Amino acid sequence: MKKFDVELAVGVFVLAGLVCLGYLSIKLGKMEMVGGKGYELNALFPNVGGLKTGSPIVIAGVEVGRVKSIALENYQARVSISLPHDVKIQEDAIASIKTKGLIGEKYIEITPGGSEKILKPGSQIHETQPPVDLEELISKFVFGKI
Amino acid sequence: MDIARWILGLFLAVVMNTSALAENPKDQIKQTTDRILSILTDPSHRGAAKAEERRKLIRKAVDERFDWEEMAQRALGIHWSKRTPEEKKEFVRLFEDLLARAYMDKIEGYSGERIVYAGEIIDGDRARANVKIVTSRNREIPLEYRLLKKGSQWLVYDISIEGVSLVNNYRTQFNSIILKSGYEDLVKKLKEKRSLEEKKEAKS
Repeated sequence: MKKFDVELAVGVFVLAGLVCLGYLSIKLGKMEMVGGKGYELNALFPNVGGLKTGSPIVIAGVEVGRVKSIALENYQARVSISLPHDVKIQEDAIASIKTKGLIGEKYIEITPGGSEKILKPGSQIHETQPPVDLEELISKFVFGKI
Repeated sequence: MDIARWILGLFLAVVMNTSALAENPKDQIKQTTDRILSILTDPSHRGAAKAEERRKLIRKAVDERFDWEEMAQRALGIHWSKRTPEEKKEFVRLFEDLLARAYMDKIEGYSGERIVYAGEIIDGDRARANVKIVTSRNREIPLEYRLLKKGSQWLVYDISIEGVSLVNNYRTQFNSIILKSGYEDLVKKLKEKRSLEEKKEAKS
């Protein structure tokens, strides 16, 4: 009887541990368990300089969405982003790729525009700004042009 | 009969080619830039005495290529729709003035830089044209013009220098001023800047 109790206790403990581990990894990995609630927009960048799938979308310093996919299209990068339904993006909003700090992770910052036209799900943000390439700037500064 | 048709064909080809030539955003920008450069290098317009006349001519050339209202609306961003029609008109004039003066300062510092017209990308009624300014020290400054087609004219609504957008720059600044001290304060600041520049111009 005693052995059975101990084994049961161990089993329950391990199960509880696994459940906690699962919960933690999902929360930390920020996976959306309940389908993706939101809509998609896309933008074309000549260069994304290290932006990754899952990189954040930031408006006014607030993280509002994520990069869903990045694909090469005609030697440019087509970036697909997901945003919550209540965040409306105007037709003349500007999406720029910025870096956290000077050498941190890349993210997309969107500055809202003045147009009355709101982008419908699946449409393109036309105004984009590629990231400032630090190495390029340094080389321009150090070597200049011959 | 054949010769007549041939002549008509040739005539149409020439006419269509010349009008097509002037329809590209790159060519229209080149036209405006060439005009401004010719005003700057015209000996009859040189000298401090001719400064005001020169500025007026340059301003007129710039006006024909830039869509100030579009730029002002984009720069004001979410705050544009809250403005009354009179406020909008006033803002467009103030913004136009701010930019034209900044642009004018840079233009009048022209000292023989070479302007290289690189590629252009046209996507419906939107276009991007790339221009390089090569200084005497062979430093290259990449400029990207963003244009919208209105009728037969391609009008500039944004310029990016080294990948930094002019509209985005002002949009961020205007937004932070409006949120901090209100739209009236922004207008006040723009008016103060204008009168400061006017005083500077009067002295020179």
